[in-house]
Amino acid sequence: MSLMEEIIVAVDDMPPFPQVVQRAMQALADPEYEVVGLVDILKVDQAITANILKLCNSAYFGLPRKVSSLKEAVVYLGANQLRQLLLSGAASKIFEKPNVGYAVFADELWRHALATAVMAQVLRKFRRLKIDENTLFTAALLHDVGKVVLSNFVADKYLTIEKMVESGENSFQEAEREVLGFDHADIGGKIAEKWEFPESIITAIAFHHEPARAAKEFRILTELVALSNNLAVMVGYGTGVDGLACRGHGLLLEKLKIADRDMEELVLLFQLEMAKTCEVAGVNED
Amino acid sequence: MSLVTVGIADLKVSKDPEDTLVTYSLGSCIGLAVYDPVVKVGGLLHYMLPDSSINKEKATTHPAMFANKGIPLLFKQCYSMGADKKRLIIKVAGASQIMDNAGAFNIGKRNYAILRKMFWKNNVQIAGEDIGGNSNRTMYMEIGDGKINLKISKKGIIQL
Repeated sequence: MSLMEEIIVAVDDMPPFPQVVQRAMQALADPEYEVVGLVDILKVDQAITANILKLCNSAYFGLPRKVSSLKEAVVYLGANQLRQLLLSGAASKIFEKPNVGYAVFADELWRHALATAVMAQVLRKFRRLKIDENTLFTAALLHDVGKVVLSNFVADKYLTIEKMVESGENSFQEAEREVLGFDHADIGGKIAEKWEFPESIITAIAFHHEPARAAKEFRILTELVALSNNLAVMVGYGTGVDGLACRGHGLLLEKLKIADRDMEELVLLFQLEMAKTCEVAGVNED
Repeated sequence: MSLVTVGIADLKVSKDPEDTLVTYSLGSCIGLAVYDPVVKVGGLLHYMLPDSSINKEKATTHPAMFANKGIPLLFKQCYSMGADKKRLIIKVAGASQIMDNAGAFNIGKRNYAILRKMFWKNNVQIAGEDIGGNSNRTMYMEIGDGKINLKISKKGIIQL
């Protein structure tokens, strides 16, 4: 079997993205979603129900009394908090799977995923972009999911990739492509396909290093994920493996009219939001 | 030995010789270490942005986020523990950037430029630095002897 064939088998063997979370996301996409309907979707999963109640009763919210009904918790948390909780809960299981290769950095990969999702949200709000929040958050959170699978196969080729990056000429993704013939974004796209995600999310994941290749209708989403990835890596929420060896999409900054000072404001807003998200998700921000 | 983490947009000062201060994930941010070898007082700052004028409120609530607020605060806290300006050994790391020919993602450069300017005005010398490039850095400071170690992505550990 060629390496690509082996990886395709591994992608097929990946656990499915939780159905409950996907269905809840669809329900939450409707701004007038019905609480009862949402509770019906969520209640079949005990772990999710327990997590929602746990978050609601955490010190972070400091409620004066204990919330014990799922319905009450759903109403209290609201769509944004629920979306973050459900998606990050599902994604953290995928990212934190211990394995070899890149995954020595599993924690960093997860921290980077969260940071990119937070950056995307902050960017969307900062420039008041009319783009679906669910889709953007999901795509940004999962953009590097290909690294989770790829990491199992790169062990012996990793040193070659590392050397190419060290030379300073190549980005990490370019080195992957040179050495392996494909990169983590390609694999990420395949995983998103397997999970039956919408075309928009598959595209954004597959082209987050080359947004110009995205189909026109998904271009803006893909550009936002690409730029959020750039900014998260720049600030230091990258991963130890690739450091800051990532190509910047400066044109996207121009397109969104983000000059030096705007970027500083953006980083400030990001950091404040990231601290909150880490507290809620129980992730060590440092 | 205890490991004391300096978070992002945070600073810590210590005179416990058993302490190691550490700050992780320096990308475009800067890690600034100051140490007085006589009284063995050291401090480490991890700032993200050059100038607090973008947000007056956060300048007060999160001074360590900004060079112009965090740097003076770091020195003041070291002085209050007995450090003397004339003896301070200053080391700097960070200010990396992603690969971008146009230089649009240049917060790292600006973070470093303001530090140089402030040091020049106040007649402060830098004893060692590891700046720029596209590596991610982790910075360690031993309070016992002021030793600074850097863990650099793709390069391993060096002493500054």
